[in-house]
Amino acid sequence: MADVKVKNLTKRFGKVIAVNKVSFDVKDKEFVVLLGPSGSGKTTTLRLIAGLERPDEGEIYIGGRLVNNIPPRERDVAMVFQNYALYPHMTVFDNLAFPLQVRKMPKKYIKAKVEEVAKLLKIEDLLDRRPSQLSGGQQQRVALGRALVREPKVFLMDEPLSNLDAKLRVYMRAELKRLQKELGITTIYVTHDQVEAMTMADRIVVFHKGKIQQIGTPSDLYKKPQNIFVAGFIGSPAMNFFDATLTYKDDFIVLDAGEFKLKLPKTFSSILRDKAGLEVVLGIRPEHIKIYKEPRASTVKCRVYVVEPLGGEMIINFSLGGKIYKARYPGEISLKPDETIYIEIPVKHIHIFNKKDGKAII
Amino acid sequence: MKINKVAILINVIAWAISFVWILPLMGILMASIRPYKEIVRGWWDFSEFNPSLTNIFNALYHPTAPLSKGIVNSLIVTIPATIMPIIIGALAAYAFARYSFTIKSYLFLTIVLLMAVPQQSIAIPLFQLMKKLGLLDSLIGLSIVHTAWGLPWIILFMKNFFATLPVEVEEAARIDGATDFQIFYKIVLPLSLPGIASVAALQFTWVWSDFFLALILIYSPDKLLATQRLPLMRGQYHVDWGVLSAASLIIIAVPIVLYLALQKYYIRGMVGWVVKG
Repeated sequence: MADVKVKNLTKRFGKVIAVNKVSFDVKDKEFVVLLGPSGSGKTTTLRLIAGLERPDEGEIYIGGRLVNNIPPRERDVAMVFQNYALYPHMTVFDNLAFPLQVRKMPKKYIKAKVEEVAKLLKIEDLLDRRPSQLSGGQQQRVALGRALVREPKVFLMDEPLSNLDAKLRVYMRAELKRLQKELGITTIYVTHDQVEAMTMADRIVVFHKGKIQQIGTPSDLYKKPQNIFVAGFIGSPAMNFFDATLTYKDDFIVLDAGEFKLKLPKTFSSILRDKAGLEVVLGIRPEHIKIYKEPRASTVKCRVYVVEPLGGEMIINFSLGGKIYKARYPGEISLKPDETIYIEIPVKHIHIFNKKDGKAII
Repeated sequence: MKINKVAILINVIAWAISFVWILPLMGILMASIRPYKEIVRGWWDFSEFNPSLTNIFNALYHPTAPLSKGIVNSLIVTIPATIMPIIIGALAAYAFARYSFTIKSYLFLTIVLLMAVPQQSIAIPLFQLMKKLGLLDSLIGLSIVHTAWGLPWIILFMKNFFATLPVEVEEAARIDGATDFQIFYKIVLPLSLPGIASVAALQFTWVWSDFFLALILIYSPDKLLATQRLPLMRGQYHVDWGVLSAASLIIIAVPIVLYLALQKYYIRGMVGWVVKG
């Protein structure tokens, strides 16, 4: 078991900077997810830690040891690939045994260890099969087993669930998390799926354009996104954004979003003082928007665009000022397209970002 | 109904082409298993038909140019000239496919361009080189020349084949603890067997059928290869078509047998190893 430290890591492919001065720590036994859209540098970062790519700048420490110039096989990390990368010409047994065989472990030990891991992953019956004779889920387990079998210091996973069907993915998500906690292996997990990240991670590192946007627990990222990118990326459906201007009125700070105005409580004034006239972006999560059929104080009139029922809850798409926004409504409400509704934006749940640099103000 | 008609037409054309293709071979087969007096009237004349293995026996134990010895010599040249370039070529091709080094693209271009060199243009320098090396009139020497001559296309072919292999599998092996060499012979080579089977069949056939390089480099009567013995079986005043045909047939048969053996293997390999995405 070991911790992982990444310091000022930079990797260029030609003129493209894939990873730009990235630094983060992974504590011993921690489950850290590198989250970001495709091309954000998260997979490259993982490959740098694995040793499959060499960094142009920066340092990587595994268990306190600088590993920049150490080949992958001596880093004592194991990796699960998106397409599993099983050895197609070998049986499941040989696939699992391979990491031990190349390390010249005694045959007896290999057999015992492979059987132990196969039992853990419930693939004992598949040991004689070839990868082509397995289902996607079974291949995935074999890939996991191959990573587990030699008890590595660090587990690296590159979108291991993305090739599974939706139902199996949800099942394996929980299985993986449970396995990681049981075995206590430091894990770095790459995904573009924010639900996967939120449900599995102890901490999430959000990537965008090769740079780290924010590091924090799932709840941190959800409640206190540090910029518009993180705010929009975490949460499903995504946060609603309204362009607005900060104005003053009778000692109060008022957010003028054109279609509506929000009077902010005095507690905000210490932060927003001297910012009158600033162009900002107001963010509010769909689950925090309240919906009424009748007007009330401080509600805004809008029109239903379409309703997406999800059984226990509904996603209500409404149009306001020519744009479509989403609200999550717990329970059921009968609404038709083009019907008038009234929304309330509770001030305690709003986020305010500077429009210029996207950074969070509140 | 329309599809049926088309299918019939395609079948007829295919059979017709196959028939034209196979006709000369039938001639050779007929000539090789029938006595001389029967085939001088044309092999298609079946008024008399007494098949026997006499011609084949006579070809194998020909008084001036026994084909049996020629086959042994040919195998001594062909087997190493198939195995050696595959080993060297596969290693080189793997380096070209997976590693980056400074002069890689220029080196590869040179190798590809070497394939355009006609054999005839190197005849004289090759003769002088082999003479200096003391490898003239030596089966091993000829084997080395064939190895060198086969390398460019084998490197090109194998590099393209390696490029089709999923690189993640090799990366997985690298992380699992395998050295570069272990990755090559435990992962890459087994996965490349279909490609290697194709290379082996082609290289074997070319070396086996070669006449030109052998003509330049081998001249002792007892060292002559099978292909070199064929013209010697033709007498100055009398051409025994039966013996000539039998000898041709034996020479053709060897690569065909190899093809059949490897083809089986090739198909088995492909079926077993395709991984679902």
